[in-house]
Amino acid sequence: MDRPVIRALSTAALLVAAPIGAAAHQLVVFASVDCEAVTVEAKFSSGRIAQKGDVRVLDGENTLLTETTLETNGTATIPLASVDHSTGLLIEVDTGGHDNYWIVTPEDIARNCGS
Amino acid sequence: MKHLLGASLVSMIAAAPALAHYGMIIPNDPMISQDDGREVALTMSFSHPFELDGMMLDRPVSFSVTHEGAETDLLGGLEGETIMDDQGYTLDYRLDRPGTYIFAMEPQPYWEPAEDAFIIHYTKTYVTAFGDDEGWDTELGLKTEIVPLSKPFGLWERNVFQGIVKLDGEAVPYAEVEVEFFNEGGDATVPDELMITQTVKADANGVFTYAPPSHGWWGFAALNTADYTLTEESSGEEKDVELGAVIWVRFEEWTGQ
Repeated sequence: MDRPVIRALSTAALLVAAPIGAAAHQLVVFASVDCEAVTVEAKFSSGRIAQKGDVRVLDGENTLLTETTLETNGTATIPLASVDHSTGLLIEVDTGGHDNYWIVTPEDIARNCGS
Repeated sequence: MKHLLGASLVSMIAAAPALAHYGMIIPNDPMISQDDGREVALTMSFSHPFELDGMMLDRPVSFSVTHEGAETDLLGGLEGETIMDDQGYTLDYRLDRPGTYIFAMEPQPYWEPAEDAFIIHYTKTYVTAFGDDEGWDTELGLKTEIVPLSKPFGLWERNVFQGIVKLDGEAVPYAEVEVEFFNEGGDATVPDELMITQTVKADANGVFTYAPPSHGWWGFAALNTADYTLTEESSGEEKDVELGAVIWVRFEEWTGQ
């Protein structure tokens, strides 16, 4: 993994995340990855599934790659082939009142895909 | 006479087996965010945590993690390590998903001649990953266990910690709970040895409450005598077994004003 990329990605993510209000129930965003796709999951800290929300996918240089929306089960699927993931992916989820992010690093992709 | 009494008291204190034993599972951080990486580093030992006095921790009977209701055996992953000048273990564990991970250890019975009893401390600690605290109140179903009523991470110093003492799944009325600070840096001092180990009792429902005076790791050990005995090898005699339900909780430094 290119360390500067991770740092850049983390910094960018933190800048994005910094203005988030400290709501009583936070949004928890997570993304797992395999060779085919990134699966985004979003729920509130209360345990309730986030049934609606906008999903933005950015690369390690903070360039928007694609956008989608959450399914009613609180997930979204992004085919890996549809995005340039070489510098990692920053996944942002915004439900309107809450937002948060998850960083998929190139290491995550390599570990789970063996590439 | 007064002088003699003082000397006598000093010798009594020095001879007293005042030190409390604690099984220990200490993670590098009980709240792992994604910026912290994807792993938690655990250190396991058996010690007097305030005095930083280690004792031999033989390879445990079991060591596991429970996450989202699934228990995983981690015993084979333990690496021997010298902790507080005695045998302990370490483990780096990868956190694949958000949520609360509960690490638990059942040690082998420890023969303590000074107490003429064996000691078995069922020890656990809770680690939350990636901002998701779901599962923080999980009860593992151990032989004896402290079930947290306060979220066992993310507590400020001087917050109260509450838990229910259980033995064989049942609350233990008026259970005795020993509380001790892990004096990690060796900086903490006490005006009297009696203050190294604090003691509180649970109420009629097995619920106890304690508020630590400072941030850091605090160990809570609820002690009961088992309804069975074990044979002490050198004498061939049957001896009592002290069952400890131990939970380690880190309190955070208050950063507000």
